[in-house]
Amino acid sequence: MSGIPEPAEFRAEARDWLTGVAKERTAHRHWGRGDDSVAVFENWTEPEERAHTDLTRQWERTRYDQGWGALGWPSEYGGRELPSYYEQLYRAEEAAFEVPRRTEVFPVTQQLVAPAIRIWGTDEQKRRWLPPMLRTDELACQLFSETEAGSDLAGVRTRAVREGDGWVVRGHKVWTSGARVATWGVAVCRTAPDAPRHAGITVLLVRMDAPGVTVRPIRQMTGGASFNEVYLDDVFVPDTDRLGPVGEGWRVTLTVLAAERLDSGGLGLDNAERALDLARHLPRPLTDGEQQQAAGLYVRGLVQRLTGLRVTAALAAGREPGAEASVGKLCATATMRATTDLVQQLLGPRLAADTGEWGTFAWTEHLLGAPGYRIAGGSDEIQRNILAERVLGLPKEPKGERS
Amino acid sequence: MMRLDVDPALLLETEEQRQLRAVLRDVLTAACGPERVREQAASPRGFDRVLWDRLGGEIGVHGLAVPEEYGGAGYTFAELAVALEETGRVLCPAPLLPTVVLAGEALLASGDRRACERWLPGIASGARTATVAGVLHPARVAAERGPGGWLLRGEADFVPDGAGAELLLVAARAPDGTRLFACVPDAATCRRTARRVLDPTRRQAHLRFTGAAAEPVGEPGQVPATAAAVLDAGRAALAAEHVGGSAHALDATLDHVSHRTQFGRAIGSFQAIKHRLADLLVAIEGARSAASYASACLALRRSELPVAASAAAVACTHAYRLATTEYVQLHGGIGFTWEHPAHLYVRRARGDEALFGTGDDQALRLAGLLGLAGRGG
Repeated sequence: MSGIPEPAEFRAEARDWLTGVAKERTAHRHWGRGDDSVAVFENWTEPEERAHTDLTRQWERTRYDQGWGALGWPSEYGGRELPSYYEQLYRAEEAAFEVPRRTEVFPVTQQLVAPAIRIWGTDEQKRRWLPPMLRTDELACQLFSETEAGSDLAGVRTRAVREGDGWVVRGHKVWTSGARVATWGVAVCRTAPDAPRHAGITVLLVRMDAPGVTVRPIRQMTGGASFNEVYLDDVFVPDTDRLGPVGEGWRVTLTVLAAERLDSGGLGLDNAERALDLARHLPRPLTDGEQQQAAGLYVRGLVQRLTGLRVTAALAAGREPGAEASVGKLCATATMRATTDLVQQLLGPRLAADTGEWGTFAWTEHLLGAPGYRIAGGSDEIQRNILAERVLGLPKEPKGERS
Repeated sequence: MMRLDVDPALLLETEEQRQLRAVLRDVLTAACGPERVREQAASPRGFDRVLWDRLGGEIGVHGLAVPEEYGGAGYTFAELAVALEETGRVLCPAPLLPTVVLAGEALLASGDRRACERWLPGIASGARTATVAGVLHPARVAAERGPGGWLLRGEADFVPDGAGAELLLVAARAPDGTRLFACVPDAATCRRTARRVLDPTRRQAHLRFTGAAAEPVGEPGQVPATAAAVLDAGRAALAAEHVGGSAHALDATLDHVSHRTQFGRAIGSFQAIKHRLADLLVAIEGARSAASYASACLALRRSELPVAASAAAVACTHAYRLATTEYVQLHGGIGFTWEHPAHLYVRRARGDEALFGTGDDQALRLAGLLGLAGRGG
């Protein structure tokens, strides 16, 4: 097909373009200087979050406007219709440049919500939502979890009741990242309380500035607030903002969740690499056991990266990836834990008490943040269920009496 | 450092490799099932020569990674790795690892054209079995120049297939430094004692040389580099075998837990079982990634090979340990019986760790290669 450059050619073009619009990352981070943050979740105030979001949005708009965003999307949405793995090729190049780090609301908008809209949206919705979301003029957050609906998401209690040409939504959502900066919230609502659990669900896109929407930060165990709870108090949503058919919301939700699971392969690698740098620069010789532990972390990181590449390779060859596509998140959370264990061993008391030294106490942010990823985006236990049942084909666990 | 400059396509099976795998899977299922493996391992030579000839001749496994100029097919180690994964899957007792990988790589790495011309065609065709001595484990072998040529004296232990191999490549101390020697052993000057082994599908022997005639291979002083190349090839090969063995353990266990009923349910429906198998799948997919990368590095003779091979050894040793442990445990009592093949895999996994080093040994070596050692040491 015309217009699809060879991967090598594409990467070179990307590099050229990036050189013109961004600053190349200095060859190597200088050990002992600069930012030593290894926070897994940002600890920002609202103004800080807004400022960083604006900066990132500016960069995403530059990409989009100059033909380097939305790579895999049709031209009507501002894309170039390249095979999906070109996005990964692009990112490999972008990693060598100083660009704003995309906080979660960006991949949620571009990689989770936009593809779901492409699958489930009406033509009018696609025209209205996709270009501004891909350009990040509009940002979307997930209004999924509730206090009584975590791993068992189909237990949502947030009600949407039909009224005139729309819906009135009432409920309480938790663990939403980006709720303060998002313009849309993708809400999983119960519309038929008497229907079987999975059948009575509908997905609505809620304007986050609509009357009745209240966002409150949740303070997580790191001490900061990266997530929010969102109160929906009789929020009116026009029916034109319903995504997918009434009562089919569970399938819409699964579309988003599947994309989330596949999007987590790179998590934790930056911090693992930093921990290995620490092992190299520690001002004392490592014991044999510590060296083995560090090598073990290296192997985890390498394997995680290679497994991601296998997925890319399969997609590039037009094949359906196998089991390798589903193990990414469990690899990532294990890497994060091994990172904590290594820095604990290497830093000793300097992890427990702040001596003011660069790159020491800062690791408490990783230590306290990492457990969050084992719970968020499908807990480790849910990931194992998915692997066991969908990849290995083992029989389902008998469900409780409500089903 | 962790940025990988690797073409993702190298980690993907080619169509040719897929076909080779399918052919081997069929042949080995028929000729190397669990009962046949036991028979072959218990036979005088320890493997089935008919199957060996078929693998070497009809399918051409032995010559896959041997250059055409030495009678091989001129493919790469990546193709050989596919074959090793399949032979590892069934625990085929044929001495492919010592012959094709260890001895084959020793000859190639020596750069000695004459020795390659002399010995590699026989290895590539399957006509000759071979192994290395004094390379994997320290040995005390000396070489002296006699009136009729070089003679070897001394001992080497833990030599893979040492009692049966028809060609020995021996690292021996010569007056001008340690050198590699090719020796066709005969009973009068090389006493070969088979050891009792943990893994009956992979024999080992103690060798005592008492003036065995040998020819030098390569130049003096080359042995450390040759040995390093042999060990890295061995690690990459074993990694492929381990992926195959681990995948078998997972498949067999899945089959068992899907059919075995207790408390009125298939035991595979219990989360206690499911989560362990999910973890095993994660370990095996990781091992597969690491093994493919090591194979690709060896096939392309990339400078990352030592790191890739050691990393693969760490990942694959871990996966195989876990896979064989779960293989026994999740089969319950039947998995602990002599008749069940699970213990053969336990024996292989643990026996192999004594070849090139345990997972911990490999991790320590890897840390050294990567400079993960702190400062002021």
